[in-house]
Amino acid sequence: MIEVKKLTKRYAGRTAVDAISFEVDKGEVVGFLGPNGAGKSTTIRMLTCFLSASDGTANVGGYDIYKDSIKVRRHLGYMPENVPLYLDMRVSEYLTFRAKVKGMRHREAKRAVDEAMNICSLDEVDRKMIGTLSKGYRQRVGLADALLNKPDLLILDEPTNGLDPNQIRQARELIKRLGERHTILISTHILSEVEMTCGRVIIIDRGKIKASDSPQNLIQRLRKPGEVLLEMSGDASEAEKKLAALEGVNQIKCLDTQENWTSFSITTDSNFDVREEIAALMRSENWKIRELASRAASLEDAFVDLIEEKPGLCRSGVSNVE
Amino acid sequence: MALFTFLNGWLFASMINAMQMRVSSRSLVYNFFDSGWFWMGFFILFPLITMRLFAEEKKMGTIEGLLTAPVRTTDVLLGKYFAALLGFLVIVTPMYLFFFLFEAITGEGAAFQGGALWGVGLGIVIVGIFNVALGTLASALTANQLIAAMLTYVFAMLHYFLGFLHKFGVVPGSAWTGGMTYFSTTEHMRALSGGLIDSGPIIYYVSFSVLLLSIAFHVIESRKWRV
Repeated sequence: MIEVKKLTKRYAGRTAVDAISFEVDKGEVVGFLGPNGAGKSTTIRMLTCFLSASDGTANVGGYDIYKDSIKVRRHLGYMPENVPLYLDMRVSEYLTFRAKVKGMRHREAKRAVDEAMNICSLDEVDRKMIGTLSKGYRQRVGLADALLNKPDLLILDEPTNGLDPNQIRQARELIKRLGERHTILISTHILSEVEMTCGRVIIIDRGKIKASDSPQNLIQRLRKPGEVLLEMSGDASEAEKKLAALEGVNQIKCLDTQENWTSFSITTDSNFDVREEIAALMRSENWKIRELASRAASLEDAFVDLIEEKPGLCRSGVSNVE
Repeated sequence: MALFTFLNGWLFASMINAMQMRVSSRSLVYNFFDSGWFWMGFFILFPLITMRLFAEEKKMGTIEGLLTAPVRTTDVLLGKYFAALLGFLVIVTPMYLFFFLFEAITGEGAAFQGGALWGVGLGIVIVGIFNVALGTLASALTANQLIAAMLTYVFAMLHYFLGFLHKFGVVPGSAWTGGMTYFSTTEHMRALSGGLIDSGPIIYYVSFSVLLLSIAFHVIESRKWRV
């Protein structure tokens, strides 16, 4: 559906997008992830033919973004960042205008508008001025606009930016539902969103692709030292010594002591699970356990690990996938 | 629109009064369109009509939605241009009707001739074609409506005053005078309100409008490659 080859965008003295290549297959929901200023919007603007690339090329929906730019745009539903809308138009009026801009005739436009408003639950505000709508509704108007021409491919630039948690949840559900019928590329920097909606994540930083994989794989491949939380009652200093002697344990930190309960944070070598050994130790010493848990790595950890520059430290395995 | 019609109506009425008090060898049409007052008000129209065309779209970001829709930039540009031109014509039409109204009420056909009226009508349209194109370009250049309006007004006035330059300290009949007269809107309108239709000014305004619009096209497209 999208095929990007060495796409580059250079601004004066700065390369915003540096020869990136990736593919999005039909039916996929792909999260385009990166910190602010990583080059997400620039890439998307090149794919939607709003900006020209300095180098490289891309195919969107089977059409070249240079040679068939009109055809690319005809098969594309795009919601730009911050959802720019004409604030002095009514919702249905705006959507009808957009349908006509997208080349639909009167009756066809009306049908498309009704359908899009239905999908995005906009029926109750169809006569309202867009300027008076809340951000959540505006976002839905933008989404309805993107759906008008029944595109195979939806490109959404930061669709949940600026929404409150409830609206984010609604938007996420809507996107999930749309994902059943459309190929979607979502750019975002909200990780939980990607974890819940996307089958695959492309992580971009400073114009380069750092990783491209499913969220689960990214977390798994994240070779971050494991961390185990333990809350026990017994001789704390003795316990600390014995825990430190276990294989794979790197560091023990006493977090808190309350009455005779002590909590520890135990850092282990990567991919080392010491929970069984700890349980056995507690049993043999007759110490009581109230909590024993390994802190699971999240996509956030993977993201931070990929993006953050750690001078002097060897970058972990994932970051070499470029 | 109401304001513009009102102002010109006032001007029209005063012109008739003035002509009643002092015998004029010129026609009403000639005097009306030769007055500086008319042009001052007239040139305010263009910035007002055109300043929003692209500047607002840029400021609001809606230009991105518009130019990622399956329409060519030329279509967007010409659509906006002709809409503005139509707006302009709608606003000036009532003013044009004054003359017919005057004739109907007074039965005084002698104040002007049909040919002069049509000539002036054509003049207003071609000057409109040119200045709306100028405003479209100014609006494409900036995201600030106020700057777009000022650019339009200043350049429209500069172009208008170009026609007066030959009056200052130059030998009459020189090439300079002749050349400058060619740019003079007042000279064109004088000829037209005399009922003389020359293809020169028409070609001049239309070809300049095409040039301005093609510059506007390249300005809009420049977002793609600007660094």
